[in-house]
Amino acid sequence: MKFKADEIASVIQKEIEDFRGQIETSEVGRVLEVGDGIARVYGLAGAMSGEMVEFPNGTRGQVFNLEENSVGVIILGDYLTIAEGDEVRTTGALLSVPVGEALVGRVIDPLGNPLDGKGPIVTAQSRPLEAIAPGIAGRQPVTEPLQTGIKAIDSMTPVGRGQRELIIGDRKTGKTAICLDTIINQKGQDVICVYVACGQRSTSVASVVEALRANGAMDYTVVISAPASAPAPLQYIAPYAGAAICEHFMYQGKHTLVVYDDLSKQATAYRQLSLLMRRPPGREAYPGDVFYCHSRLLERSVKLSDELGGGSMTALPVIETLQGDVSAYIPTNVISITDGQIYLEPDLFFAGVRPAVNVGISVSRVGGNAQTKAMKNKKVAGGLRLDLAAFRELEAFAQLGTELDKETQARLDRGYRMVELLKQPQFQPLHFADQVTSIFAGTQGFFDAVPVNRVAEAERELLRFMREEKSEVRNAIIESKNISDDTEKALRAALDEFRKRFAESSK
Amino acid sequence: MTDTQQVQTRIPSVLEDPSVDSIARVYADALLDAVPAAQQAEVVGELREFVEEVLPRQAELRRLLSSAALGKDEKETLVGKILDGRGSPLFVNFLKVLARHSRLDLLPPICRQVGLQAELRSGRRRVQVTSAIPATPQLQRLVEESLSKSLDFTPILEWTVDESLVGGLRIRVGDTVYDGSLRSRLRQLQQRVEQRSTNEIQSGRDRFSHPEGD
Repeated sequence: MKFKADEIASVIQKEIEDFRGQIETSEVGRVLEVGDGIARVYGLAGAMSGEMVEFPNGTRGQVFNLEENSVGVIILGDYLTIAEGDEVRTTGALLSVPVGEALVGRVIDPLGNPLDGKGPIVTAQSRPLEAIAPGIAGRQPVTEPLQTGIKAIDSMTPVGRGQRELIIGDRKTGKTAICLDTIINQKGQDVICVYVACGQRSTSVASVVEALRANGAMDYTVVISAPASAPAPLQYIAPYAGAAICEHFMYQGKHTLVVYDDLSKQATAYRQLSLLMRRPPGREAYPGDVFYCHSRLLERSVKLSDELGGGSMTALPVIETLQGDVSAYIPTNVISITDGQIYLEPDLFFAGVRPAVNVGISVSRVGGNAQTKAMKNKKVAGGLRLDLAAFRELEAFAQLGTELDKETQARLDRGYRMVELLKQPQFQPLHFADQVTSIFAGTQGFFDAVPVNRVAEAERELLRFMREEKSEVRNAIIESKNISDDTEKALRAALDEFRKRFAESSK
Repeated sequence: MTDTQQVQTRIPSVLEDPSVDSIARVYADALLDAVPAAQQAEVVGELREFVEEVLPRQAELRRLLSSAALGKDEKETLVGKILDGRGSPLFVNFLKVLARHSRLDLLPPICRQVGLQAELRSGRRRVQVTSAIPATPQLQRLVEESLSKSLDFTPILEWTVDESLVGGLRIRVGDTVYDGSLRSRLRQLQQRVEQRSTNEIQSGRDRFSHPEGD
């Protein structure tokens, strides 16, 4: 089958023959002043807040401020060719973004224009950027897990479908890495992922796209890019565009995951716009409604009720802190909106603990509800958090060089091995059954005889052993998502066998 | 030198400060409300004469009226001294009110607003018509007639020529624009054709990737 140029030509010809122009009626105003991504417009007496307007060069804008004699408009695109006196038209429509299957696998800007050079995005559907979040009746509790594939997170701060889990930490602590692993781990899980890059360096966005492509994750992922060089209005609307694209799939009953990377830069962009629009500054010069800016965005993440199709939107907002200061304005705001946070620490990161999750202050308010029974089991991850916290305390105590009794020393040794076990390289998310197996082995002491520096190797060997030789145990965990007494017996027997084999091979 | 893009700035309409205009409208309305209908033309004419004839010639007076050197009372006395007996009492009073509220510097915009508001009250409104070529008197009459038929007021046409329209007319009433120009039709057609051909290409591509039957 070939493209038929004649066919296309005849379609165009027919279109021209049938064309009956209509008289366009619109309300207009004039640009009074323009600069830095905003314009003040005189006229537009009937403009609505949030309405889309159009400038003569085709650039679109959004009505932001309605003042006594003028209208403040944020310009979504090139504002350098807009001049004083230019005519601005209202469109009578809210700002919206194209949605649908055609977007999957594409890299777009927040207005839905393709950035990846793969041709136009052909879709007839669109959704308004801003939408009211479903009410209480439209929701149901979060109970289904969204596997991140990262042991430290799935075991201690599990994320559920429809949850909002904040990822917070200083620069270069692996925030984006966690998000990417989570996206990569959704392969084959029928989850549509949207990655919103807001205020990032273009190189970082390019490497994210490359990493997703290399790991086969672009087949179910949309990347929305508003890099640092994009005008502030585009950075401001990017997360809303991501949410709108997810909502489309969510209302079809599908599960979605959206990553807002990162919201502190979006807040900065919003601050810039608000100050230019002369809205009064508040704390840290952010406008008073910066909380609402984030809360209305994150409230759109939801697990829909069965009547609405039962779809879900899980959000992983990212916040970058300065010098570990979580008590700054934006971090506290977003912490209070989300259902928990994963706190990443530079000290841990540089000590080689990657992902550098600080277990003590990372929480998931949905908690065990969003965990498989196998993982929640007291013998697996149930007591892991407390054990690790106790270990940290002991470790500090042991540094004083005091003589330790046997039991304390054993707990310390176990702790060192657990920390080692929770380390995980990037782009290697683990299946939940594998996670359960290795955490069970760790907490039940099957690695106690392994030297600390060989724990990672032993774990790798163990997982291979389980996959290749004890697949019936692994399958039992996968199928029942639970560890029954029989399974536990089989698992223990398998682990014993492996322990002996590993001890022999290392001699 | 000439290859740099010429950005047009300081278009007259932009110099109309919207907030000044809205204040001027308040005074204009007040003046028109105060004048009995019979005297309206007289007072409006008087105001226009004062703003257009007297002020431009008397630079000193203009400066004194708008300067901050004189207090409100002094300005009021000055207005009284100059105009008492010469202008109609209502007009002189109006100027005194302006002096008392320190709004004498707004006289030109007030005068313009009075003109516009008086037109509005008599059922006439300005309508900006743009065409691609200069209009013949017949065409102007034709447009005026058909506009007064479809609008609920008598239009006062302000005709401008803009070649970039290519053809047709563009009519603006207040903030609303009725665009029947060839330019906007061509743009509509362009969008339509673009959309159709992308659709066509897409469906061709789909056929190519999922061959049916062959």
